[in-house]
Amino acid sequence: MATVVGDTSGDTGEGEAVPVARTASVAVRTPRPRGTGPELASMPLVVRRREEEETVVTFPALVWKEFLAGLAMFIFLLGVSIQVNAPLLQRANTAITPNPAKAPWYFLGLQELLERFPPVMAGVAFPSFVIIFMLLTPYLDRNPSRRPQDRKVAIGLFTIYLCLAVSFVVIGVFFRGLAFNWDWTRILGHPGITPPV
Amino acid sequence: MSSKPTEGNPLRAFASQIWGSIFRHGLPTTDKVAARTALTNFFLHVHPVRVKKSAIRVSYTLCLGGLSFFLFILLTISGLFLMFYYIPSVDQAYQNIKDLQFVATFGLVIRNLHRWAAHGMVITVWLHMARVFYQGAYKPPREFNWAIGTFLLLITLLLSFSGYLLPWDQLAVWAITVGTNMAKYAPIAGPYTRYLLLGGRNVGQGALIRFYVLHVVALPLIGFILMVIHFWRVRKDGFTGGL
Ligand code: HEM
Repeated sequence: MATVVGDTSGDTGEGEAVPVARTASVAVRTPRPRGTGPELASMPLVVRRREEEETVVTFPALVWKEFLAGLAMFIFLLGVSIQVNAPLLQRANTAITPNPAKAPWYFLGLQELLERFPPVMAGVAFPSFVIIFMLLTPYLDRNPSRRPQDRKVAIGLFTIYLCLAVSFVVIGVFFRGLAFNWDWTRILGHPGITPPV
Repeated sequence: MSSKPTEGNPLRAFASQIWGSIFRHGLPTTDKVAARTALTNFFLHVHPVRVKKSAIRVSYTLCLGGLSFFLFILLTISGLFLMFYYIPSVDQAYQNIKDLQFVATFGLVIRNLHRWAAHGMVITVWLHMARVFYQGAYKPPREFNWAIGTFLLLITLLLSFSGYLLPWDQLAVWAITVGTNMAKYAPIAGPYTRYLLLGGRNVGQGALIRFYVLHVVALPLIGFILMVIHFWRVRKDGFTGGL
């Protein structure tokens, strides 16, 4: 790191501090890649090789991308907000229970479980299990490799979990009707043959 | 743009002194200046000076962590505007929201923005977690940051959930009733937890003020502190980088 930013040694943001003597800083002059920032910085950009990893200056290369991403998100949300109003129903009335009464969408997975399992399981044991399991994931997964082909089990399990979570939310939002029962009209296009409730 | 006084024009010299006292370096024309700009600017300093090229490819992080943070900021600002109009009282809250929608200038858009950004943040945080998992970025030395992230996910959900009650309409009250009913099922602690959360047996004034305080003070504060730690760890451990 000595050649280019000598006054910042040890502050390159990389985890392992590489002894200065060991660092082979090769200042490679390459044409500046396109789309990495406004035309302000270092033409040509100096790229160093360190442990075979090329690095670029954070400012403006990364900051510029962050700015663009934020701007795009803001414009998108502004567009949505101009077109679509946030819901506001009747004033709250504890005497009138809406049917179905649904939790916010991100908790509909839990509500779905509550329909199927005893409440202690669905409402308490299951969410606690998910949180604890998530916290322990890095300690349980002892496989040092990050390459997808070495992590078939981990990726498989996680994908199953994601798919279940997403489908429960989709079911809860779109396909649950009165009393949180299946809304067959929504699913079949006609009421179907439902047993009288 | 340096703090060197500009010859001749005293006004320009004065302006340049002010500028120079705030920004220690000009716009980066060389790598060295770029590095110093990042190091001496408080906001840029959350970044390392240099990053692995492979780690900042948009296809790598998909910007999801950054976007989650951006939405958090957007929610803070739009929420601030909403607070000028909103009174957490069961007699007034609903009317305040109506006024926001129909009377206050831009009130409707700000409310919409706050609402959709909140949903958006739940989605981006969730996807960010998925990307971190798929890239194995939780592996050593980032185990602890994954744990911080787990708490950030919970805080994000709770923030959204506590905000849900505030408009005090039918949707709000019943969603919270259903949601807090889940807490009831925990053995022994359950009913007490629910009582503590609602400040009573039903969703009423007690619940409204508790959710309000959680939503505008406690949870954002906890979330912000966790984010600071999260970013600091990302910075210290470096990005995982390409596979
Ligand atoms: C409010 C919520 C969160 C915010 C604002 C946030 C923000 C960020 C940012 C800006 C990064 C840098 C890389 C990127 O943009 O992807 C990052 C990295 C990371 N995040 Fe989050 N995050 C949040 C929640 C989470 C969650 C829920 C998890 C996992 C459970 C998590 C785990 C991690 C890990 C392990 C890294 C390091 C990844 C790497 O080195 O490639 N974060 N986070």
